Amino acid sequence: MIEICSDRVAATFRLAGSFLIVLAVLALSSCTRHNGSDAKSGKVNAAMDSTLVIAMLGDADYLNPVIGATVTSSNIFGLIYPSLLQSEFDTTTGLMNYMALEKKLRTVTPGQGKKAPKGAIAKSWRLSDDQKSLTYILRNDAFWDDGKPIVSADFKFSYQLYGNPVIASARQQYLAELIGADKGKIDFDKAIETPNDTTLVFRFYKPVPEHLALFHTSLTPLPAHRWKDVKPDEFRHSPLNLDPLGAGPYKLKNWQQQQEIVLVSNRKSNLPKPGNIPAITFKVVPDYTVRLTELQTGAVDVVENIKPEDFTALLKANHQLEIKTVGLRVYDYVGWANIDQEEYKRSGMFKPHPLFGSARVRLALTSAIDRQAIIDGYLKQYGVICNNDISPSLKWAYNNRIAPHPYDPSKASALLKAEGWIPGSDGILQKNGRRFSFVLYTNSGNARRNYASVIIQQNLRAIGIDCKLDVQESNVFFENLQARKLDAWMAGWSIGLEIDPLDVWGSDLKKSRFNFAGYRNTRIDELCELAKQKMDQVGAKPYWLEYQEILHRDQPITFLYWIRETQGFSKRIEGEELNISGTFYNVDDWRLRPSANVAQ
Amino acid sequence: MLIYIIKRLFIAVPLIFGVLTLTFFIIRLAPGDPAAFFIQPGISPNVADQIRMQYGLNDPLPVQYFKWLANVLQGDFGRSFSRAQQPVFDVIAEALPVTVTIAGLTLVANFTFGILIGIISAVRQNSFLDRFLTVTALFFYSMPEFWFALMMIILLALKFPVFPVSGLNEIGAESYGPLGFLLDRVWHLVLPVSVLSINGAAGIARYVRGSMLEVIRQDYIRTARAKGLPEKVVIFKHALRNALLPVITLMGSSLPFIFSGALFIEVIFAFPGMGRVTVEAIFARDYPLIIANTFISGSLIVLGNLFADVLYAVADPRIKL
Repeated sequence: MIEICSDRVAATFRLAGSFLIVLAVLALSSCTRHNGSDAKSGKVNAAMDSTLVIAMLGDADYLNPVIGATVTSSNIFGLIYPSLLQSEFDTTTGLMNYMALEKKLRTVTPGQGKKAPKGAIAKSWRLSDDQKSLTYILRNDAFWDDGKPIVSADFKFSYQLYGNPVIASARQQYLAELIGADKGKIDFDKAIETPNDTTLVFRFYKPVPEHLALFHTSLTPLPAHRWKDVKPDEFRHSPLNLDPLGAGPYKLKNWQQQQEIVLVSNRKSNLPKPGNIPAITFKVVPDYTVRLTELQTGAVDVVENIKPEDFTALLKANHQLEIKTVGLRVYDYVGWANIDQEEYKRSGMFKPHPLFGSARVRLALTSAIDRQAIIDGYLKQYGVICNNDISPSLKWAYNNRIAPHPYDPSKASALLKAEGWIPGSDGILQKNGRRFSFVLYTNSGNARRNYASVIIQQNLRAIGIDCKLDVQESNVFFENLQARKLDAWMAGWSIGLEIDPLDVWGSDLKKSRFNFAGYRNTRIDELCELAKQKMDQVGAKPYWLEYQEILHRDQPITFLYWIRETQGFSKRIEGEELNISGTFYNVDDWRLRPSANVAQ
Repeated sequence: MLIYIIKRLFIAVPLIFGVLTLTFFIIRLAPGDPAAFFIQPGISPNVADQIRMQYGLNDPLPVQYFKWLANVLQGDFGRSFSRAQQPVFDVIAEALPVTVTIAGLTLVANFTFGILIGIISAVRQNSFLDRFLTVTALFFYSMPEFWFALMMIILLALKFPVFPVSGLNEIGAESYGPLGFLLDRVWHLVLPVSVLSINGAAGIARYVRGSMLEVIRQDYIRTARAKGLPEKVVIFKHALRNALLPVITLMGSSLPFIFSGALFIEVIFAFPGMGRVTVEAIFARDYPLIIANTFISGSLIVLGNLFADVLYAVADPRIKL
């Protein structure tokens, strides 16, 4: 009996074992690549010599300019698709410049203009005197990769896709000035006209400043002949999304979802030219430590957003690496509810928040927080104290007469005392029986904000304010912010290069969806409107200067610091120009030093 | 036994269905919004609404439920929200081979090493070797997988660059030919499979040791020794086979692991497997994908248990189903 039983056990194990092995072998062979027949020669190093490898945290969502919404996606489809204009951020003025083949919006300052306008499909443009119509003349030597010419109808077709609510493009805001947009439905027949293949006319329902008109009409086109039969409700899952037809310096060779995207230089391209580096691989590496290790071993060449604390070890371990910075576009802040959120939700009435309702209290909180200590301790030279949400990089509009509120706990205490906050028996400030005690919420997984929140807690405790910390999952945190459930929180914004802060500070809280603090100042609304109406962008400067002074005085939130984004680069890359508009903005001009494989 | 299996499968249907219904409501009631990504300055406020409309999230919850039910009964689990609206089973079909490869190899290694270490420990009970193996096994068993994986990467990919850091293949591996490609794949699998199996084998070794010790004390083992059988035969033929009975249960419960994947290992080694699909779906509030994953892992847990019970009966005639 026992013998029989043990034989059966052994047989069961053998069976299960062979089942597992067969399964594994089957799976192993089923994940071999399908399209790997073209390159027969060469070894790893040869492949590495001609391939730039960029690590990315997650995969691209769509390689389609109409629906691709993530930064990764736009980095990649920007290389595949052509563009109507070339744009460049001028670091000396902080203004965006738009360039057609034969025309530029602004004269290029010496030392700038690294990007040649050769990539633009537009030869030139003309804005009508009433600033309500913009006519582009297109070049006639631009072709899609299948040989068909790029014509004005491609742009009209693409704008109809961008504006289609069923497709739900994240870029439909760009169409907000076209005829009909004010009435809720764009009249494409009137708004975009294509009298012939090389003439493209945009018409607006109101006068639009030239820079904004150029910005909003230069969305990336799709080839109409390729996409015309795709129904809008099938647009997002069309197989064409996996096989983009472009005209730019690179084309898609292979996309293994969640693993890698391989682009190869597009030999046919004249927009502006085939990419210098033969192949670029965007490799998905979700874990930060592993991305660092890959950079260190030379398996990848570029890793974005390296934490300052890792620089020393990284550069010491591999001398073939360097850290490059771009900025300043991103800032962190501590948000204070200016209004009583509960009361607002209940009755729609505005009542000052019992703790943070007074500008003087908010100023006290800002003065009590040692922002420089956070920068010194974490960001080091990669952080700059932030006064308001206009970046010092936007030099034309930045108000450099504003001095940051210094760290001054005694001033903070005096301000709070003047507001009636006096220390209670437990050392915590009190007013009318209410203790100055609150929870500061932040989202999980951000080491920088964790570091800052602890310092803020200590700083506030020193002047008698009890600040508890709570970390929430990002989705939950964001939903709570929108639902106005949080009174104090720590978050950050990445700003656009065109200044448009009404979404964040407008007094109409229903329209200004991101005014989580509930800050209301009618002068801010006026200034934003005045600046928008100004047809000459630089002419709006006085409004922005005043805007910054008001924010500095009212302290609707405590602006903490601007962050210089820090990217790790292999030194085998040459010719890279990092720009505030993106790390990879001239990647088609980069070169690889062939013999200097960093892995060696 | 066939009737027993059919009966169990019948019970499984409402069970899995109940799990799916619960999941359906729990994820929709949990905070978070699948369209949250589209709520940011610079993006028209209409976009999030249009996206929700596409996903059918603007309907009242009961309507959503019945629509979903009608689709599921026709075998349509919908399209993923977060992964380019691919049909969810396409997403899973892409991730599954990767997960099955790692998990299959891991399980073979787990059981092979686990059983070997268990036997040695039991046969040499209380010897230095037994203590050493026990302590080592406990050491690895209690070590968090993600930390162990990072340490292995630092040691064997960074300090002594023997193995690659991450990924399934080298850049440009297509040019190696089929055999070279397969070898490159195996080379990439060594570290993750080792991490997983060292961790898992340690646990199995403890089971085998315990059960082996029990069996060795039985009368029939003494009889076998008394009749002069060599020790090798006694251990491997008479003792081991019986000692492996409880391990069968472990095998059954390992079945879901083959398909559900090992999250930390997948994240750290950048493998696009099922663990990552599931967790990313949860963070993106990708409802259809979460439900499809729940369906797969739920079914496998039920099947795995059934499989274990059946194996048990097959292996041990004393058990009648």
